[in-house]
Amino acid sequence: MTFSLNFALSDLLLLLPEIFLTCWLCVVLIVDFSFPRVPKERLAYLSVAGLVVTLGCLAWFDMNHVSGTLFGNMFVLDRMAIFFKIVILGATILVILASIEYVNRFTLFRGEYYCLVVMSALGMMFMVSANDLLSVFVSLEFATLGFYVLVSYLRDDLASNEGGLKFFILGVLAAGLLAYGISLVYGETGKLVFSDMASAQPTPGLIIGFLLIFAALGFKVGAVPFHSWIPDTYHGAPTPVTTFLSIAPKAAAFAILLRIFLVALGTFKPLWVVLLVAVSILSMTYANIVAIAQRNIKRLLAYSGIAQVGNVFIGLAAGTKMGNDAILFYLLAYLFANIGAFAVVIAVSQAIGTDEIEDYRGLGRRSPFLAFAMLLFLLSLAGVPPLAGFIGKLYIFVAAIKEGLYTLIVVGLINIVISMYYYLIVVKQMYINEPIDPSPIAISGPMKTVIYVGLAGTLVIGIYPQPFTDWVVSATLMFANFIGPSVTVVLPVHSLGS
Amino acid sequence: MGEYALLYILFAPFAGALALIFISNRQPLLVRSVAASAAFVSLLASLYLFYAYDPVKGGFQFVQKYEWSKQLGISLHLGVDGIGTPLVLASSILLFAGIFVSWHIKDRAKEFYIWLLILAAATIGVFMSLDLFFLYFFYEMSVIPMYLLLGMWGSHTKKYLEMTDSEGLKLRDSVGFILNFGSNSKEYAAMKLVLFLSAFAVAALMGILLIYKYSGLNTFDILVLREQANLMNIPVLGTTLDKIIWVLVFFGFASIAPLWPLHSWSPVGHAAAPAATSMLHAGVLMKLGHFSIIRVAFEILPETTRELMPIAAVLCMFSIVYGGFVAFYAKDTKYVIGYSSSSHMGYVFLGMAALNYISLSGAVIYMFAHAMATGMLFAMAGWVYDQTHTRDIPSLGGLSNKMPFISVCFVVGCMASIGMPGTVNFIAEIMIIVGSWDKYPLQVVVAMLGIVLTLAYLFKMMRGLFYGPMNQKYSHAHDAISAVDRLPLLIMISISIGFGIFPMRLYDVVRSGVDPLVARITRVVPVAQTHEESGVRSEAVIPRTTSTVPVVASKLLPLPSQVSRGEGE
Repeated sequence: MTFSLNFALSDLLLLLPEIFLTCWLCVVLIVDFSFPRVPKERLAYLSVAGLVVTLGCLAWFDMNHVSGTLFGNMFVLDRMAIFFKIVILGATILVILASIEYVNRFTLFRGEYYCLVVMSALGMMFMVSANDLLSVFVSLEFATLGFYVLVSYLRDDLASNEGGLKFFILGVLAAGLLAYGISLVYGETGKLVFSDMASAQPTPGLIIGFLLIFAALGFKVGAVPFHSWIPDTYHGAPTPVTTFLSIAPKAAAFAILLRIFLVALGTFKPLWVVLLVAVSILSMTYANIVAIAQRNIKRLLAYSGIAQVGNVFIGLAAGTKMGNDAILFYLLAYLFANIGAFAVVIAVSQAIGTDEIEDYRGLGRRSPFLAFAMLLFLLSLAGVPPLAGFIGKLYIFVAAIKEGLYTLIVVGLINIVISMYYYLIVVKQMYINEPIDPSPIAISGPMKTVIYVGLAGTLVIGIYPQPFTDWVVSATLMFANFIGPSVTVVLPVHSLGS
Repeated sequence: MGEYALLYILFAPFAGALALIFISNRQPLLVRSVAASAAFVSLLASLYLFYAYDPVKGGFQFVQKYEWSKQLGISLHLGVDGIGTPLVLASSILLFAGIFVSWHIKDRAKEFYIWLLILAAATIGVFMSLDLFFLYFFYEMSVIPMYLLLGMWGSHTKKYLEMTDSEGLKLRDSVGFILNFGSNSKEYAAMKLVLFLSAFAVAALMGILLIYKYSGLNTFDILVLREQANLMNIPVLGTTLDKIIWVLVFFGFASIAPLWPLHSWSPVGHAAAPAATSMLHAGVLMKLGHFSIIRVAFEILPETTRELMPIAAVLCMFSIVYGGFVAFYAKDTKYVIGYSSSSHMGYVFLGMAALNYISLSGAVIYMFAHAMATGMLFAMAGWVYDQTHTRDIPSLGGLSNKMPFISVCFVVGCMASIGMPGTVNFIAEIMIIVGSWDKYPLQVVVAMLGIVLTLAYLFKMMRGLFYGPMNQKYSHAHDAISAVDRLPLLIMISISIGFGIFPMRLYDVVRSGVDPLVARITRVVPVAQTHEESGVRSEAVIPRTTSTVPVVASKLLPLPSQVSRGEGE
């Protein structure tokens, strides 16, 4: 293996968004230190400005089909990476806008908060471009580092500290597993770049190595045997951080999972389908059943997030190009619904100071807008037409049924019904129960923007998904080369002849 | 307008709902008139549709097709045949009537109308979908508005208020509470309705996905699938795939119909719902089940339908008798009407099970007729509830003194529901009974018994509400005096009687939809062993669509009169 570090300066163009964002991060940091009297709100808008420029740059890349690899294939910029970068940056922008008010709760380091958010976003941008195991490790830790701090940002809040500690300990454990897995895989194959591994033989060492890597990434996305940190961390973390945590790292980790399973392990598909089916069934069923018992909206959304991850795994288990498209589409739908739902949670907790579902009593009277928005977001998460989540779920099911994953689809469908119950319990509190304190709830401007963006995304994707499906289909074109013929259908079809 | 009629019917309520979002609740008159005018546009367009539909040509008309998703093979494919047309008309009539019935809603009127319009538009959407995806899309979309309408504007039953819970109100959110079938709250009713319907809807979705996969055509388009999909003779799990799909689709959609063992959500839902919602629920939402079965199972799997439809013939007996008896003993006005609806839906299943021209046309006409009759009854039960705040029949009585107009309308509604000659229900019932006699004589006898039961419980309720000694507590109750209050009842009565006296148009339209379908189901040479349906197949010789009208004129008209004499209503 050779690491060639020879590259033309023009190749750095591919890194332009990351380079720009790094510089901008420094600018924000310097402004924060040099002008301590500047209201921290302005720092938020300054960060958003930088993110928007980066987003524009990526959109330009996407339109002009800029792509290529750098640093001996360690860094790849293809259309899927661009897609995920856009998703992550979009999430970051919305999260920053949603935190402007919330930041006043922090006693110290309000300016650094924005820098840490942008830094994590930067790490995740590298994650989705990682094309070998080393860059996966480095970028994953880079992204997580920011989150360790962010989760425990409420210094005086016990829950926040507890969540941060749990996240940190388990996160470090996951990092250890990842490093160990990488070393095993490297020892067995002598390769690090995903696309070189396609010809590897499934030796026990290699399988264990990939299982360890899968465990580490399963920790990031919060799939069921590796989910135990999620409820406490989501509960304890400042709500905007929870929002960020529930979307961006999941999307980034799924980008890595897609590359590993479809590029590096494409030939072992019959082996890993079983693993993914098991993880998917466990995630959906466990999370949906436990979510019923939740009394806190953040924990409810945490479990709902785990269940959604289970749904995404259905698409991954399908292991086809269409499965990929479905995953990308689903994450897009999930992004808008989840950010929107958390934005409403932030707005409500700003006004009434609690996150208990009980306290959502009569929200429909106190703030019809917030209640209506929450209704649509929850229904989108549940998968009710005509909202984005429904199309996302259907897309995934269609991709899976083409591969004959009947059990998985049946479990997925049953889980839709179970999840309907707990989402509707929130709806019931908001609309059916009468408020104890009928005073109206005020919403700040940036928060309104976030909710409007969420609503627009949820409705537009649900009602007219064609442009978005086109986008995701073109984003995963490069996978077409790696995906082998589909596995044989599980049921004994055509066995009796016709 | 013309060819775009379907778009007007479908999107006028959606546009109305969208417009209402921007209107403040402080302008109640504007809110109501926007809702009413959206419904009116829809009604006008569907009247136009009903009279512009060409029964001689038959088939799907007013077809609109817009590609919606290339990757998934979905297009917004709308079109109506003779089965969809009357049901679209019934939906828009009930929507228009429902808006006037709920004219006096004070609490969050705007939100009420928004959800009502969305509910109606979604049901209309199902009736005109020619794409499996959109059929499911609109079907599922109609469920959530029901939850909110029941939960926000519904009412608890009498028992609920007496119910004690050792740990206070909080437990009413719990799983245990939902599983407690003794509860009577509106929240319970709403949640049960949504979970029940969603659970069965996903079964139907599984069936749809299996059709999609095994047809291998990468499309959800019903017209393509019914011509090209070959789903027969694929052995799976000890049976054949088409049977699995059929069972999934049939029971998935039969839950909303509601067929007997799957009915329990329905009367509870009726009882909790506000009047206009009950009207739409009983009037058209329940017909989504029959319609979707016809559209999906009958169209795409005709041979399996012929083989398995006896299941419906067995279950419909239980529906009719069970619903009838429970309605007879129920003390709550809306339970009576709710169980009566679920009992009457058994007739539709009987008509569908017999699978011949007369009985299936009868079933479709019955859906239309029942929408009007039950719509009237629910509207008036709602009026009585609004005036007296109770639905408990024993505590009411003698209201005819206070509300003569309502009681007269109620008598007409009962007559229509029983199937008195002169109402369109009569024609439908007779067609179902005559059509099914050859194949299912036992079921026809049960259906006759059901008619007697209907007579018994509706008269019992009528006497309980309007005659006998009056409870002085309700002396403040008053009649429907204003035009706004009378309009919806008059519309439904005039449609019911109008089509009862002049049924030819309705019959022609329905027949033009039913004929090709029955021909398709009975024509196909059986693939499997079946050797007993020669009686059915002999009728299949009748050519499709073109000759329906002459057949109609010669064959049907004598029927009602002949049989009515024998039956002695």
